[in-house]
Amino acid sequence: MTKEYSVIGKSQVKVDALEKVLGTTKFAADYNLPDMLYGGVFRSTVAHATINSLKLEKAKALGGVEAVLDFHDIPGKNRFGIIIKDEPCLVDDKIRRYGDALAVVAARSPEILEAALALIEVDYNEIEPIFTFERALAADAPIIHGTTNIHQVKHLVCGDVDAAFERSDIIIENTYSTHRLSHMFIEPDAGIAYYDDEGLMTVVASTQNPHYDRNEVASLLGLPYNQVRVIQAATGGGFGGKLDISVQCHCALLTYHTRKPVKIVRSRSESTMVSSKRHPMIIKAKTGASRDGMLMALEVQMTGDTGAYASYGPAVITRAMAHCTGPYNIPNVRADATFVYTNNPMGGAFRGFGVPQVAVCHEGQMNQLARALSIDPIEIRIKNAHQIGSKLPTGQILENSVGFIETLEKARAKAEDVL
Amino acid sequence: MWYGIGNTGLPNPAAAFVEVLGDATANLMFGAADIGQGSGTTMTQIAAEALGLSYEKVRVTWGDTRVTPDGGATSASRQTLITGNAVLKACEQAKETLAGVAAAYLGCQPEELEFSQNTVTKIDDATVTMTYKTLMAEMKAAGKMAVGAGYYNPTTTTLDPNDMSGIPYEVYSYATTICEVEVDTETGEVDVLKVVSAHDVGQTINQSMAEGQIEGGVVMGQGFVLMEEIEVSEKDGSIKNPIFSKYIIPSNLDVPEIYPILVESEGGPGPFGAKGVGEPALIPIIPAIVAAIEDALNVQFTKLPVFPKDIVAAVKEKEAADKNKNN
Repeated sequence: MTKEYSVIGKSQVKVDALEKVLGTTKFAADYNLPDMLYGGVFRSTVAHATINSLKLEKAKALGGVEAVLDFHDIPGKNRFGIIIKDEPCLVDDKIRRYGDALAVVAARSPEILEAALALIEVDYNEIEPIFTFERALAADAPIIHGTTNIHQVKHLVCGDVDAAFERSDIIIENTYSTHRLSHMFIEPDAGIAYYDDEGLMTVVASTQNPHYDRNEVASLLGLPYNQVRVIQAATGGGFGGKLDISVQCHCALLTYHTRKPVKIVRSRSESTMVSSKRHPMIIKAKTGASRDGMLMALEVQMTGDTGAYASYGPAVITRAMAHCTGPYNIPNVRADATFVYTNNPMGGAFRGFGVPQVAVCHEGQMNQLARALSIDPIEIRIKNAHQIGSKLPTGQILENSVGFIETLEKARAKAEDVL
Repeated sequence: MWYGIGNTGLPNPAAAFVEVLGDATANLMFGAADIGQGSGTTMTQIAAEALGLSYEKVRVTWGDTRVTPDGGATSASRQTLITGNAVLKACEQAKETLAGVAAAYLGCQPEELEFSQNTVTKIDDATVTMTYKTLMAEMKAAGKMAVGAGYYNPTTTTLDPNDMSGIPYEVYSYATTICEVEVDTETGEVDVLKVVSAHDVGQTINQSMAEGQIEGGVVMGQGFVLMEEIEVSEKDGSIKNPIFSKYIIPSNLDVPEIYPILVESEGGPGPFGAKGVGEPALIPIIPAIVAAIEDALNVQFTKLPVFPKDIVAAVKEKEAADKNKNN
């Protein structure tokens, strides 16, 4: 680099390092206010059902319980979601996954809260749960949302793929599958809601997107956006798992009805059970190349299970498609993707948004190709690598900041040195 | 590995506010949530560089919807590019006022000035100089304020619904990871020994934070391939292993020797040319570990995770196949 910077590029001490090192950082669970209530959620223990009856009376009658609420108590809209608003704050039509929220409770102590949650009774009318991609698409399968279990379908095409396969000297075909994973951020979801001295609904929460949270809380309570304040508490990791609404709306709803501060802290188990998961995917790939290792054609078919709610599913499928070639020039590409709704845990944002899944495929294909053609794995990548001027399958031309080949060369040099 | 920075073919702007105060310190406000990755620090460095203040002079506030403008999600490795550019724009706006007052005081043109480390100096004549504190006193006397608001939306286009043509991302990060593993063919255990991970970050903003991201990504990737899997009950759809005693992630004892390499590539649209590294840090180690195991065993693995039982099964299968071949 030619420019000398005085601050940029330097290893400055993080602005929040001192509090972290001293252990004085205040996370959402550390907030306590006078008259604060403890909030909790009564959740479904089946994956797919309508509700015959939800009996809240015994919980309401317990001493020390200040609110027991179901969907009838929501003053505004009972749907949230970053892209598609398909997830209820509290179930109103039907249960779509194990752990769906049916009722919320606010109590004067954690012990009373637990006792109250145990007093709630529910009678389900179970529907066949769908746990596989294949069953989701079956003609006689129950529909989870709307009119179809197909969540999203995407198609990408450029060039003449079939002709390019015919001209190819070698074709590599594989089917890759990746699994469902959990973020396991170190701090489970937590938050507190309260009315501040001016009467402003305020939510302090562990989150990756406070402004989105504000809009959803406002929508739930039927308030203008500027009548809700969301403050991000110091947040102990997220990796995409704190992009969805977690406790924010439940806390705010309980504060709305009790007028008191309400704190919800999820246990590790509850946090993992209901936060989003990495989409498991199956990716079929067919790669055609010349005998000197130049990529000529790629055909990809991917399927994914987005679980019970959309969450960031549409972003995962689109990004996975846009990245399916890897950082390699392939003039002819045809890719198709289908994601379905199931009654499995919700698939959502997770560090990489589908790219880790497709990287298993495109790098696996490159390694197989290198082996089949007896070409060095780094060399075959350099031959096909994106450079300034490369044209992507989307038609985009790369105009600047393409350092892929330099990463290949520098990694190889360092590996020769240390491995 | 490559990774497009920001949301795919969608508008996803972020904004920032800045005010330089009378004693030559500054307040910087933006929405972007810092979840430990260090965006608060990154933005402080960008503002300090842009305003010509030292790092300690900039005080940052983020993630408070009553005080800070919308930063969108901390996701898609987007905040360094997008909030970073918003911070830069806010600082440039404040600096325009500052440069006008400084130029009048020093008797030169605003574009001839350099702001660096709490001093304003004429670029080709170091004797023509003033401290930032003097500048702020001049600002006060002139009744002017050094404030700025900026927002940035990366240049993308909506992707065509028929073939996905268009511009999905404004810029891409790239990376190469090479690793060495040791596979115990009897127990199926895999030790990741050494990892080299080279990342094109455009421009490094904070070297130790960028390297820390890469190291953390490597370890998370080890868990992805070798240790972690959410198990779902086929009976009721519940997660069978939602706790750390049943969902095992890597610990400090699993961390290999990691050699992060920061590659800088010019001309990008980000602040000082910076791109994102948050997600790229994770991705390339995943196929690299798979490839290393394949290389060690001469067996192909297309199904993840690769647990010890999978290794043992693959080794046995290969031994049986080799035996048949020899017979």
